[in-house]
Amino acid sequence: MKLQVNEACVGHGRCYSLAPQMLDSDDEGFVTIRGGDPIEVPQGLEQLADEVAGTCPESAITIIQD
Amino acid sequence: MESGTISEVRGEEVTGCPVMHQDFSTTRKAGDYWDLANELRESCPHFYNKYSDGGYWVFTRHEAVNDIYKTPEIFSSESITPWEPNPIYRFVPTQVDAPDHIKYRRILNPWFSPKAMEAAAPMMRELCRGYIAPLVPKGECDFIEEFALLYPTAAFLNVIGVPVSYTEQFAQWVDMFFGGFGGDPAGAENMATALSEMRVFWTEQLAERKGKPPVDGDLFHYLLNSTFDDEPLDEEVLLDMCTVLTLAGLDTTRAELGYMFHHLALNPDDRKRLVAEPELAPLAVEEVLRYYTIIFGDGRKVTRDVEFHGVQLKKGDMVYALVSGANRDPRHWDRADEFVIDRKKNNHFGFASGPHRCLGMHLARREMAIAVQEWLAVVPDFELAADGQLAERGGGAMMALDRLPLRWKVPSS
Repeated sequence: MKLQVNEACVGHGRCYSLAPQMLDSDDEGFVTIRGGDPIEVPQGLEQLADEVAGTCPESAITIIQD
Repeated sequence: MESGTISEVRGEEVTGCPVMHQDFSTTRKAGDYWDLANELRESCPHFYNKYSDGGYWVFTRHEAVNDIYKTPEIFSSESITPWEPNPIYRFVPTQVDAPDHIKYRRILNPWFSPKAMEAAAPMMRELCRGYIAPLVPKGECDFIEEFALLYPTAAFLNVIGVPVSYTEQFAQWVDMFFGGFGGDPAGAENMATALSEMRVFWTEQLAERKGKPPVDGDLFHYLLNSTFDDEPLDEEVLLDMCTVLTLAGLDTTRAELGYMFHHLALNPDDRKRLVAEPELAPLAVEEVLRYYTIIFGDGRKVTRDVEFHGVQLKKGDMVYALVSGANRDPRHWDRADEFVIDRKKNNHFGFASGPHRCLGMHLARREMAIAVQEWLAVVPDFELAADGQLAERGGGAMMALDRLPLRWKVPSS
């Protein structure tokens, strides 16, 4: 499973506060993988990744199933 | 409802859309504005509100509110109050559209980023404890007057580098301004006075700083040294920025803190859960922001003729995205009308959405999480001590409880 953040991110910060194991923020508060390559969801964190996607008001997070 | 029930005010139609005459500026019984939002949302997806001189479209459901926020090229922020398409103030960057908007946000974002707020958290916690400690042995307080008005103001002033001694002056301006912001004509004069007094204050503050070496932690020094398209910020723009910073950072957190503690006073199970699991505070705060959204609605100005969710909008029309309706819309939310303290998929619009999402959101949510943790650590049980009905200010200016009397058993030392 992979997780990707598109350019719609405006820095609400819900994703990286919910899943600091997976995501971080830059100096302005945008998620660091904004508009970048998908990241691999670590094993055991699949449910968390799903919740992370559901917490974004911009629908900026996509889960890609392998 | 003071303005009559929905069925009473129906009967007219504008291009197939129901017409209502709803005044969103009046004071109501606490919680009434969310009931009204629910009622409006379930009775129709949109209606035309003829209460103000010009009238405006109200979109009541999640999907349309989301679309308004996500298409700023159609829904301009030039005015955010649909009853006043041409306001006497200009908030920067709140009322600035693309392409300039993001340039201003890039200047301000780092100051209010999660990392900056993380660094400020120990200061906030210290301040918070300082306000709580003298209240504990009293066994009661008006939570709004004695805590919620003071702590966020002090925390905010610390974050921007203004002496805390200005707390009362700021609180007064905020009160005067919001008396008129929601569309109540009786408040218009006070609003104008507050705006001009703030302008004088900030002109003096900026003049004092000009040409002097920057002071660490002083936002206004930072702004004076910031550039926009490689030029220093224009004086008028600086003042417009200062105005919105003064107004947006104080009243809103006061209001959300009030509703959060009102909820905890009335819901001992949620309170006990937070006492046992203080690490849940950030999730609880998000649910407060969804369930008790103080933004009744958010206004936008239409930039071109367009058909939107079945309504033919014309350039210049004002729309009102009913955020309080969207945040409890069962078409979007699982257990929409339930306060779920550990809700995770919580993509609420409590801080708005799209490019104009609240600049101070990371400050506000941290202030709230700290407040609930610090209070419950010393006063785990409290209840409402209201000697009558609690009232809330009109949703047009953002809902807020006017007072919140709480009482608790004084802990034996």
